[in-house]
Amino acid sequence: MILRPVGDRTGWWVEGAVALFLIAFPPLLALAGVGTDLGTRIVILGLFGLGVDLLFGYTGLLSFGQAAFYGTGGFVAANLLISHAVPNTLGALAVGTLVAAALGALVGSLALRQVGIYFAMLTLAFGQLFYFLENSPLRAFTGSENGLPGVPKPALGIGAWSIDCSSSIGTYAFVATLYFIGFFIARRIVRSPFGAILRAIRENPERATASGHLIARYKLVVFTVAAAYGGLAGGLLGVFQGYMPPEAFSIDQSGEIIVMTVIGGPGTLIGPLVGAAVWTFLRQALQNVDAIAGIWKLILGLVFVLLVTGFRNGLVGGFVAFARRLRPAR
Amino acid sequence: MTIVFGLLGFVNFAHGGLFTVGAYAGWLAYTRFDSFVLGIVAAIVVTFVLGIVVERLLIRLYYDRPPEDQILVTFGLGIVLVESVRALFTGQTQLVATPSWAAGALQIADFIYPQYRIDVVGIVALTLLAVWLLIFKTRLGLIVRAGIDDALIVEMLGIDIGRAFMLVFALGAAVAGLAGFVDAPILALNPDVGTSVLVQSFVVIVIGGVGSFGGAIVGGLIAGEIVSLTSVFAPDWAQVALYLAMAVVLIVRPQGLLGVVGRA
Repeated sequence: MILRPVGDRTGWWVEGAVALFLIAFPPLLALAGVGTDLGTRIVILGLFGLGVDLLFGYTGLLSFGQAAFYGTGGFVAANLLISHAVPNTLGALAVGTLVAAALGALVGSLALRQVGIYFAMLTLAFGQLFYFLENSPLRAFTGSENGLPGVPKPALGIGAWSIDCSSSIGTYAFVATLYFIGFFIARRIVRSPFGAILRAIRENPERATASGHLIARYKLVVFTVAAAYGGLAGGLLGVFQGYMPPEAFSIDQSGEIIVMTVIGGPGTLIGPLVGAAVWTFLRQALQNVDAIAGIWKLILGLVFVLLVTGFRNGLVGGFVAFARRLRPAR
Repeated sequence: MTIVFGLLGFVNFAHGGLFTVGAYAGWLAYTRFDSFVLGIVAAIVVTFVLGIVVERLLIRLYYDRPPEDQILVTFGLGIVLVESVRALFTGQTQLVATPSWAAGALQIADFIYPQYRIDVVGIVALTLLAVWLLIFKTRLGLIVRAGIDDALIVEMLGIDIGRAFMLVFALGAAVAGLAGFVDAPILALNPDVGTSVLVQSFVVIVIGGVGSFGGAIVGGLIAGEIVSLTSVFAPDWAQVALYLAMAVVLIVRPQGLLGVVGRA
């Protein structure tokens, strides 16, 4: 028998809070004197991080190759849009996401043969495989070091009915809506019996196996889902920037998304968005101070090491623990 | 040089950073004192000391935590090391001159090798021998191997396992540092040099077999051959072929060519 997962009593307020935050984010940014585009970037990274979080935060699988899916989804969608093979933005994003997911299933079926550090090493190596694949043999398709310029702005339309999302705020609304859907689905996943088994795999894989679950299959599914999130986020990046950068495939990209997720809080779905915001703001703020402009990444690296050592569950996890202490358990 | 990495068995994500630190420390001493040997000494000493400091301050806290946490902290450490180097020496690529005694080229049969590469092979062989002797022929090596198998029993026997692990970590750091410096005249020097080497060493380990001494050597040789052979016929595919080979090994023989089942 599969037990009802814990945490059901939280109801819908988390979804509501996230929706409110996404709506309030652009005005808040404007108050801080920052443009909406920064917010769009953060939300895209937050979406990418949702997949990493499902994979690492919930299932305990640490992958250093997620950029492969981010890049794949991005370049597939960008190509379809540039060549007008699929004129509809949503259609191109969907194809990019599916291709990334298929690739995720393939890579996952190989990398998941190992656990722990060897799994991490394999994902890293596969990430590099796709980086080099993108860089030379596929350069006609990806523009090699130059990336792909000229990705059209989001155009949604069915027949005569269409919405214009080409303005800065329009793009944000488009990205934020997709993020919300992604968040909603991720939350369904972690609160489902499937999500409970993912956590069981993280906590005690032997016991999960002994309970009769084919954990290899669960891992493969969650790896594929994470790849799909990466693919969708990558597609959005190209659409948002009007340009698909080759760095999307880079090993640094894989590392950064992990750092963001861990800073924000692995195992809390809001964590990646918070981490992406912290990372992006700090980067922006530190780069504006001349004396430390060159070492912003060093500072973030130190913050990261301290957080991993002191706050296992990142900023959000630390905050939740703090709030619980203020309000004793019933 | 990736072979040395493979031998350490406990390769971690900070080794890329240590590789970079060693390269810069050695380069600094080499250019300052005009002595390649002093460069080697500096690379080893700096990374060894750094290894001890880092192990005592940070890594020690992680022995009881899940492997994922250890990966994360070493990964973060790698960022900190690389970025520190970048802050101190700027991100510019430096060319490191080959020492004069190793300039020239050597002709063996029909092939011409740069003299320096031959010397590097010699240094690698020496390092391999030293590490092998240390791990399999000394008391320290015995303690470490026992400690990996069952730390509790070793401690019950009254042995300070913490110090043994510290030494091994520092030695691993020193080997990475040495590798970084010796490779510098071949690769040229910039802060990101460690990362690419790190990834290649992972590939070597996967191909050769996890925790296998001979496997690391065979894996390194095979990896080198694949890259240079494909470079001749299809340069675009050289790097891709390397990773494809890794995938094939993984499908056909998940434990690696010379790996032993159950020692992952």
